[in-house]
Amino acid sequence: MDTTNITNGIGKSQERREDFRFLTGAGSYIDDMNLDGQAYATVLRSPEAHADVSSIDITEALALDGVLAIITGEDWKVAGYNPIPTKSAVRKAIDGSDLKEPPHHPLAIDRVRYVGQPVALVVAESIDVCKDAMELIDVDYDSLPSVSHQSEAIKDGAPQIWDIAPNNICLDFELGDQKAQKKAFSEADHIVTLNLVNNRVTAVPIEPRGALASYDAGTGKYTLWNASQNIHAGRDTIADAVLGIGKENLHHIAPDVGGGFGVKNGVYPEPILILHATKLLERPVKWFNDRSESFLSDTHGRDQVSTVQLALDKDGTFRGLRTETVGNLGAFCATVGPFTPTGGSSRTQGGPYRFDAIYYTAIAPFTNTCPLDPYRGAGRPEGSYQMDRIIDYAAAQLGMDPIELRRKNLIPTEDLPMKSPMGLDIDCGNFPEVFEQTIAMSDRDGYDARVQKSAAAGKKRGFGISMYLECTGGGPKEEAKVSFREDGKIDLSVGSSSTGMGHETAFAQILAGHLGLEIDDVVFRQADTEATAIGGGHGGSRGLEVGGSAVLQTSREIVEAGKKIAAHKFDVDADKVEFSEGHFHVPGSNHTMTMREAIDAQNDPDMLPDDMEPGALNISSVFERGIISIPNGGHAVEVEVDPETGTIKVDGYWVMDDFGTIINPMLADGQVMGGVAQGLGQALMENIVYDDGGQLVTGSLMDYAMPRADDMPRMVIGYYEDAPTAKNLLGVKGAGEAGCVGAPPAIVNAVCDALKDFGVHHIDMPLTPERVWRAIEDAKAS
Amino acid sequence: MYEFDIITPNSIDAAKSEFDAAEDGQFLAGGQTLIPVLKQRLAMPSDLIDLEHVHGLSGISASGDTISIKAMTRHTEVAADHEVQAAIPALAKLANGIGDMHVRNRGTIGGSIANNDPAADYPAAVLALHATIVTDRREILADHFFTGMFETALEEGELITEIHFPIPEAASYMKFANPATRYALVGVMVAKSHNNVRVAITGAGPCVFRDAEMEQALMGNFSPESIKDGMIPADDLNTDIHASREYRAHLISVMVRRAVAEAVG
Repeated sequence: MDTTNITNGIGKSQERREDFRFLTGAGSYIDDMNLDGQAYATVLRSPEAHADVSSIDITEALALDGVLAIITGEDWKVAGYNPIPTKSAVRKAIDGSDLKEPPHHPLAIDRVRYVGQPVALVVAESIDVCKDAMELIDVDYDSLPSVSHQSEAIKDGAPQIWDIAPNNICLDFELGDQKAQKKAFSEADHIVTLNLVNNRVTAVPIEPRGALASYDAGTGKYTLWNASQNIHAGRDTIADAVLGIGKENLHHIAPDVGGGFGVKNGVYPEPILILHATKLLERPVKWFNDRSESFLSDTHGRDQVSTVQLALDKDGTFRGLRTETVGNLGAFCATVGPFTPTGGSSRTQGGPYRFDAIYYTAIAPFTNTCPLDPYRGAGRPEGSYQMDRIIDYAAAQLGMDPIELRRKNLIPTEDLPMKSPMGLDIDCGNFPEVFEQTIAMSDRDGYDARVQKSAAAGKKRGFGISMYLECTGGGPKEEAKVSFREDGKIDLSVGSSSTGMGHETAFAQILAGHLGLEIDDVVFRQADTEATAIGGGHGGSRGLEVGGSAVLQTSREIVEAGKKIAAHKFDVDADKVEFSEGHFHVPGSNHTMTMREAIDAQNDPDMLPDDMEPGALNISSVFERGIISIPNGGHAVEVEVDPETGTIKVDGYWVMDDFGTIINPMLADGQVMGGVAQGLGQALMENIVYDDGGQLVTGSLMDYAMPRADDMPRMVIGYYEDAPTAKNLLGVKGAGEAGCVGAPPAIVNAVCDALKDFGVHHIDMPLTPERVWRAIEDAKAS
Repeated sequence: MYEFDIITPNSIDAAKSEFDAAEDGQFLAGGQTLIPVLKQRLAMPSDLIDLEHVHGLSGISASGDTISIKAMTRHTEVAADHEVQAAIPALAKLANGIGDMHVRNRGTIGGSIANNDPAADYPAAVLALHATIVTDRREILADHFFTGMFETALEEGELITEIHFPIPEAASYMKFANPATRYALVGVMVAKSHNNVRVAITGAGPCVFRDAEMEQALMGNFSPESIKDGMIPADDLNTDIHASREYRAHLISVMVRRAVAEAVG
């Protein structure tokens, strides 16, 4: 039997088909794209955190040779476009009133509210001319008091950023049963309280944001190539909600995109501005951020301060959990901004642990900082950090063993399926087993010897664990469209989009594996509003869950249609035909037909039954997810701390993930490692800092520390595959965000374990060497 | 960047006359600081005089008790040079820890010293090893060369041609890297020769500096125990989001102790 057809199947570590293109510079990113007659645009950004714009003088700049247009807030007001709306799923405050949504125009109108806010768009024959012109624009700012930190913003007397939002509060939020939580707290033996900072970070995708716009005056149609991870939703917002040009008149395409992590999910000002400019000038217009602008203007993530309280009994049984969060929104409601500290951070409260009751509240204020929007995990990392940190903290306070405390309180398998106190539909999993496997893989037997070895070198070794539970998200629907070309190639278009995660491989793997065809024949197309009618882009670890399921669903429909062709040839009823390993056959007969033969037959009317049209195997299908899935797992970490300098070395890392079915272990490993790198970055070094005047202190890679390869530990990754979910066709649970959900609490737990002899039981992220050193010194002094 | 002319002379004399002729000329060595500065539009020279093709400005030689490194020698070459590795291993280690591979392949010792970035590595070596900086017009002792933040004793148009490093009995460089840039948050070069000990500290203050108290203590007893916490007052040290002046003061003591321990072997 020819076995080549089945080697591409699910579960194989198929090498990434896109890597050769990416790694040899053959990718096509925005900055690689150029159109005839193209002009260039740059954005003049506010140097002020909060100021009235009393005048903008563009006379000199406009007179510069090569300058084509300068667009200011005044022009935008005249043009009469609508502001960019937020799509936050949480839209009501606790009292039922609407969230306060200030008008978010692409250019500042009359007032600026954060450093980096676009003030004018300059279009010229070259980027150098744009920059020369920007230096000649004279903006008069009348400075106003500003506020950078959310805890300051909600205080009486704080500078007011929007008239519609008293005390700068956009909305407040609650979830859970407050009465039951209070009861659990009143009955519990202990209540442990911990204040936590979830530090503000930014994604730093390797490709900054950029876009290229063109306009066809003949047809009235626009084309926008955009480094975006969500082009269908973005098209609807830009074309319908903001510009009012009709979404049918905007062809929105994301070419190769170099990293997203949520930061390219939202609708930003700049692509809208260049769409306006391309029509105005009837020339293509290209804009591309430099790295410094990315720090100023890419939406930031996290930035929550929380008080977490754990109520537990003497024997360690968890009774109740109470979390109060203040989550920074920045100066505007970004695309999903208000959702993150509210709904996004509430759903996974409590993690995989059993509670009588949980009650979560949040306040989401505006500040004079860059808007915040989802960053990998968007709320689940915050929830996981709160849960797994307070377990270790409580264990330290009460003299308990953090491992035993977890073992005692994990939701037992017999409780599943269940609805969590937060309303989360936990259908399947085996938390105790995943926990025991995480412990088992992490070489506990050799630990004491390693502690001794570290001690001999003057170092402190510590071990930490976290058991994360998260949930997927993003748009519930996805389309997968397949058409077979005469040359044997197979066009596969999917509405999910990859910003480097490997869809071109995994989706092709599912299609080719299911149909018994060659993966190399699959030509992948994504992120194009003309390739698929709908598309949910990339976000919420939804790629395989929704997009992959759509590919499988389309594959199945192709097989069913193929059975009819085979039945026609075999002259039997279609329900007698079976399909396996790329072949249609009838059990008990010699009839056989390959998928490739059926594909060849689909364009020959003689080969088709009467009720089939030529091209019947070219199928598009939409999969709709019912309920989001629940990825979960354990992270175990060993660290070695140099108490003299406060330096942390992450010296061992073990992960056991329950992502349901694993399609391509190599891609899953990549997701976990990348997620852990970002989680490690947040735990140990990444930190966006604004000073009290609202200036961004960490405005470049000279100040914003990120992990490098030599900061990363050797990782051992395992998968628990015995609990596939029935919520989607593949049984997958979403792998994309889990790494950065599990990593921060596990790493901080390990550091606090290493420092327990000093009496250090908590340090706020990022655990920089100085913070660690100070914590030790402070503990020694007290 | 703003527009400028680029000139590529092939002799020191030609480079000097091009500099003199330029309205606002600037020498370009490895460009690892200058090019980013130009890209950010933070400098506007009329002419860049590229030293890349100037004859006789690159190479390493050893003679008796001295290692001589020409100004345009790349960090990679210093790191990999067998004579440097044998005579002053601390210098090879220092060079190998500058920036990343790309920076080390382009950056030059002369460029680094002339720029005198307060967080650069080389100034600590030049100062601790009691090097002599040779220019197109004179010789300058290290003690007189580094005059302030990004400031040196170099005169307008003066060009470093070579640095002479006396070979010490023992030396060690310990660097605590800034987590973002991997420049020195604190970098310490300790060098011992003929009962003389020199301790040079970079990254911690506005300019590389020596510490007399630590040197005296180490001349009395060249041992880590000689270095006590608090020997360096924090008052004049740098403070930023990565390290407060108190933490830098602490790190200096730790790094000097570790350098001495390594030098003692």
